[in-house]
Amino acid sequence: MSSFVRKRAFASLISLLLLLVAVFFLSRLTGDPAALYLPVEASEEMRQQFREVHGLNDPILVQFGNYIWDLLHLDMGESIRKARPALDVVVEAFAWTLQLALITMALVTGAAIVIGSLAAFRAGGFFDRVSSLVSLIGASAPDFWVAIVGIVVFSVGLGWLPTSGTGTVWHWVLPVAILFIRPFGLIVQVVRGSMITALSSAYVKTARAKGVKSRPIIFVHALRNAMLPVITVIGDQAAALLNGAVIIETIFGFPGVGKLMIDSILQRDFNVVLAAILVTALAIFLMNLLIDLAYALLDPRIRY
Amino acid sequence: MLKKTILWGTIAAAAAISPAYAQDKGVKIVLNEEADVLEPCMATRSNIGRIILQNVNETLTYLDIKGGTGLQPKLAEGWEQQADGSWRFKLRQGVKFSDGTGFDAKDVKHSFDRAMDEKITCETPRYFGGMTVEANVVDDYTIDFKADPVQPILPLLLSLVTIVPEETPVEFIREPVGTGPYKLTEWTPGQQIVLTARDDYWGDKPAVSSATYMFRGDPAVRAAMVQTGEADIAPSIAALDATNPATDFSYLDSETVYSRIDTSIKPLDDVRVRKALNMAVDREAFLGTLVPEGALLATAVYPPPTLGWNPDVKVWPFDPEGAKKLLEEAKADGVAVDTPITLIARTDNFPNVTEIMEAIQQQLQDVGFKVELKFFEVAEFEKQYSKPYPEGRGPTLVTAMHDNSKGDPSFSMFFKYASEGRQSAISDPKVDDLIARASAATGDERANLWKELQAYLHDDVVADVLLFHMVGFSRVAERLDWKPTMATNSMLPLSDIAFK
Repeated sequence: MSSFVRKRAFASLISLLLLLVAVFFLSRLTGDPAALYLPVEASEEMRQQFREVHGLNDPILVQFGNYIWDLLHLDMGESIRKARPALDVVVEAFAWTLQLALITMALVTGAAIVIGSLAAFRAGGFFDRVSSLVSLIGASAPDFWVAIVGIVVFSVGLGWLPTSGTGTVWHWVLPVAILFIRPFGLIVQVVRGSMITALSSAYVKTARAKGVKSRPIIFVHALRNAMLPVITVIGDQAAALLNGAVIIETIFGFPGVGKLMIDSILQRDFNVVLAAILVTALAIFLMNLLIDLAYALLDPRIRY
Repeated sequence: MLKKTILWGTIAAAAAISPAYAQDKGVKIVLNEEADVLEPCMATRSNIGRIILQNVNETLTYLDIKGGTGLQPKLAEGWEQQADGSWRFKLRQGVKFSDGTGFDAKDVKHSFDRAMDEKITCETPRYFGGMTVEANVVDDYTIDFKADPVQPILPLLLSLVTIVPEETPVEFIREPVGTGPYKLTEWTPGQQIVLTARDDYWGDKPAVSSATYMFRGDPAVRAAMVQTGEADIAPSIAALDATNPATDFSYLDSETVYSRIDTSIKPLDDVRVRKALNMAVDREAFLGTLVPEGALLATAVYPPPTLGWNPDVKVWPFDPEGAKKLLEEAKADGVAVDTPITLIARTDNFPNVTEIMEAIQQQLQDVGFKVELKFFEVAEFEKQYSKPYPEGRGPTLVTAMHDNSKGDPSFSMFFKYASEGRQSAISDPKVDDLIARASAATGDERANLWKELQAYLHDDVVADVLLFHMVGFSRVAERLDWKPTMATNSMLPLSDIAFK
């Protein structure tokens, strides 16, 4: 097991490095931060000074060397826009994103497993049809629209929830509910499909023949076997959330990493872009590792 | 369980208390963009200025756009030009910074030198381009500013220089200290910024005791927040959401939309072609349709209350027949009027930009122009908008929005129209001469020179297709007595807010 983790860590480190090189050079291809940071009337001297102050005048390979050297000392540079260490800015935002992703995925996983399993138990029945319809609508509704409608109905109309922002538990309800919809629709469908296969397998028939009740058949015998593909999809969806939910963050004024990343790309705040990508990539690597370990936990036949 | 109960109890109590607090003398303001730094020398940038300018950090002089009384004293009690052209400022006495230190001429000198320092990239030097300015302390409450060449509008320029204590380091700071009526008491990045009124402010005590700033990117959410009472002022909402006359106000903002004509490239070097472009556009048809009602048709790149505004300059009439005739004339003289012209605009530059540009493209084509429409993201757009312009470009019309709320055309004219201007697409000796003379003149002479230049650029040079002076929309809670003005885009002095 530990040699597996080591191997995976090594492989991820290589991809992380490649990613770093690609982002470093590609982001600098987008142009000169001075052109965006300084007002249009700024003189050439002002631009020159700005580049000098921020080390943008050095040859690009020297800049890269400096970056890697600083990175080895755990220094990811300063944000040009915010005049603070880029890593601080990113970690602050990522903490919000992580909470949002964890809460949403926990709720999605719980709800999707229960509903998907029940739908599969009587495939083609009334409950199955209703849940398929609801999950299909959920998976296809555009979230910016659902978000605005949610605000109009629950905040402006009924006055139950705050429109946006952070602060109390109530502020989390709308963003989590809207982030919930799409992965929920998707995972319900995967659980259902996987469960139908599992429920028609020989060991379920045996269990039924022995007189085991429906609930243990679904949630003990079939579910554990049906979980492998479900976990893969959960991992994909969680990774998408860890990259930030730009639209939800923008609408609800949620200070997450998605909007930060987009803003820094548009403003050419390279250090923040790099730090954000490193942090989220690391998080996604850790999550994939956890998923691989979960496979082994669920299915004793899998050994690393 | 007990812990849980206490937690929920606290949350419920907090939720119950905060609206009650909002009924108090605190106001909540929801802005479209967070301030990335709260650096006083960056206060001319709107996302920063709207929070700290005149609230935390004050200036020597103050341009009163709201009351229309012109340049007013703030930290300076008075100023006069000396025989050698330099300006002497008498400073207010008994003023204290929020850190308790006293205000004197040394603070002013440090503030100016710091803002102009090469070690940090402040916004301030942009307003002092093409001149060297030196600040000399005469005594504790007297300071001289000597500019070379002599600057008649130096007192106005100093309305853009925020004053910080002498001890402020020459690097970007995140906790501004100033002489203003408020001090920064909380900043949670990404969430909120809180300013609280000071007890030891030198001037009148403002009605608002504290201000909480929040940031939301979506205009519909900002409007909803005022409606639900989560905010008191949303300075910028969408025209579409401005539906409640009791809370929603439109105001002429200081933005002007115009298409710059690249006069150096055929066939746009021919003035008849440029006039035809202007006569082909039906500006009136946009008002109340794609452009909000209340917007004005533009005759300059700066808005009407600017010094030297020339009311005699008339908007080009919509005259497609006249435009066609001019094009025929030009064609007969061998001008290649059917050369495809590229109409360039910036994505999301202003509301309905796509539809507006498509309509203009159509109107130009109706009189016989061949027009291709191109949109760019901000960074790519900059390459088209500012020098050095792309090599080998064809004839282009670059549509942009320009902001001048500073009351004087000098903030626009040089860089938009001088031969050396970074965003100029003309090179005309008479324009260069008028800009130089107007910039150096004072009083009526200055106003008259700007008037002359406005007419010359509009009627004779035909440097642009000037379009609209834009309007913005604000939503304000009914309990407040406050209306947006042209200055709202750049600053929002809390002292202007009263309760009904």
